[in-house]
Amino acid sequence: MQPTTLKGRVIVEGKCRAKALVSEKPISFLGGVDPADGRIVEKNNDLCGVCIKDKVLCFPHGHGSTVGSYVLYSLAKKGLAPKAIVNHTADPVVVVGAIIANVPMVDQIDITKVRTGDTVEVDAYEGTVKILKRKEA
Amino acid sequence: MYLTKDEECILRGECGWASQTCMKILSRLGDLFNAEKLIPIKSAHVSGVSYRTLGDAPIEFLKALADSGARVQVRTTLNPQSLDQEYLGKRLPSRLCEKQREILEQFEKMGLTKSLTCTPYYLQMPERGSHVAWAESSAVVYANSILGTWTNREGGPSALAAAVIGKTPEYGVHKAEGRQPNVLVNVKAKLQNHTEYGALGICLGKVLGDKIPAVSGLRDPSEEKLKQFSAALATTGMTNMFHLKKLAREEVEKIDIDDKDVEQTITDLSTATTKKPDLVFIGCPHCSKNEMKQIAQLIGNRKVRHGMEFWVCTSACVKEKCENSVKRIEQSGGHVLAGVCTVVSWTEKLGIRTIMTDSAKTAYYAPTLNKAETILAPLKECLKAALKG
Repeated sequence: MQPTTLKGRVIVEGKCRAKALVSEKPISFLGGVDPADGRIVEKNNDLCGVCIKDKVLCFPHGHGSTVGSYVLYSLAKKGLAPKAIVNHTADPVVVVGAIIANVPMVDQIDITKVRTGDTVEVDAYEGTVKILKRKEA
Repeated sequence: MYLTKDEECILRGECGWASQTCMKILSRLGDLFNAEKLIPIKSAHVSGVSYRTLGDAPIEFLKALADSGARVQVRTTLNPQSLDQEYLGKRLPSRLCEKQREILEQFEKMGLTKSLTCTPYYLQMPERGSHVAWAESSAVVYANSILGTWTNREGGPSALAAAVIGKTPEYGVHKAEGRQPNVLVNVKAKLQNHTEYGALGICLGKVLGDKIPAVSGLRDPSEEKLKQFSAALATTGMTNMFHLKKLAREEVEKIDIDDKDVEQTITDLSTATTKKPDLVFIGCPHCSKNEMKQIAQLIGNRKVRHGMEFWVCTSACVKEKCENSVKRIEQSGGHVLAGVCTVVSWTEKLGIRTIMTDSAKTAYYAPTLNKAETILAPLKECLKAALKG
């Protein structure tokens, strides 16, 4: 297939290729992600129970406490952080978290175009998300 | 965002990892909010101090910053912690005390003042018209609206980054055009006490979003009543400030608040079915000297009821200056907790199921943060519940 390329804005530079994990709902890193194992624990999140480790984590935007930024740092130190973060609208909590955890991040991406399980390449120097391979049905 | 040559050097890492990380935070936030440049700040106030709310996650980051030489460039105060050494520290597991101490040590290493209060303006009044970078939403609204000090609503990490660099991106309420009121609020309710001012804030915050209101109809409110209003407004809304003046332009959106709105808010914030609280708590936000004196006078010679906890929270600085009032409160059987915030403490570990308070902000947070039921009532009623006779 011809890869679909979505163009957004660079927040934290970096480049990676991994499987996408797409949450329709906003994510709060404080209280919403378990810092011990990287699983989403927010009860009303569509990805509750799923681990974000090594994924390209796509979600509309963050919400909740600014302590959430520190949680991302802690996840990165334990090797549990996502490979990249893709947002529709970046918010300060996630931006600060991605900076201190050094996780590549882009925003202004239409994340509804990406599906969980797709293989994607995030180029957070150019601000692009390329869908290389759709998840097999 | 434009960066000076010096700022760019810091961003490239020429001054070390700690200041590079802090500069990255400021420059990216600046880009995000379309700031044109960084501006110098006179002070910073950092939230995210309580081990109860932080957990273990931030300790590593704070330690990394402190160990790699991060030091604050301006006077930087700290929000309250989860326990004090004198009272709560003796009743809670020592592991919690040690973790809390570890967090404070990192902040101290970086040169932050161990103010441990949500009302840093009682320690040192910031200059009118100066730019600062404060976290703690209640202090942000109070600073912008009452003290005339200009600050965006920072998060814990961004306030710390601003403190280490000594600058903040110029956007939002740091610019005169970002401080203009864009909604008119007419308070028809006849507000009597602190609690009703708090209820007004809770009620308004829900409908304002991040709009800046011009509030009319308040009858000569004290600074302490406006402190309650500020804290509550920031609890349910993203508003950075309010104005207490008539709006010249008439074409803006108008909101009326009447007695019923305030009454309903107080009813909604009182979740308890029992009339007998386990804890009566005054001091959210932290008490001023005036409030300490008023509480002491109202207590008189009365004593705290058997089996009841009665806490008054303030800063160590204010506590030191109110020796007589503190004595009176402690003689009654109450506790003046310095540097602590009840909402970010471990009340449920002390068996506290129902909290009575005069603070609308506390009543809003206690059901989730303290897993407690709430009774929201004016100070005099709180004291009546806490004291015999």
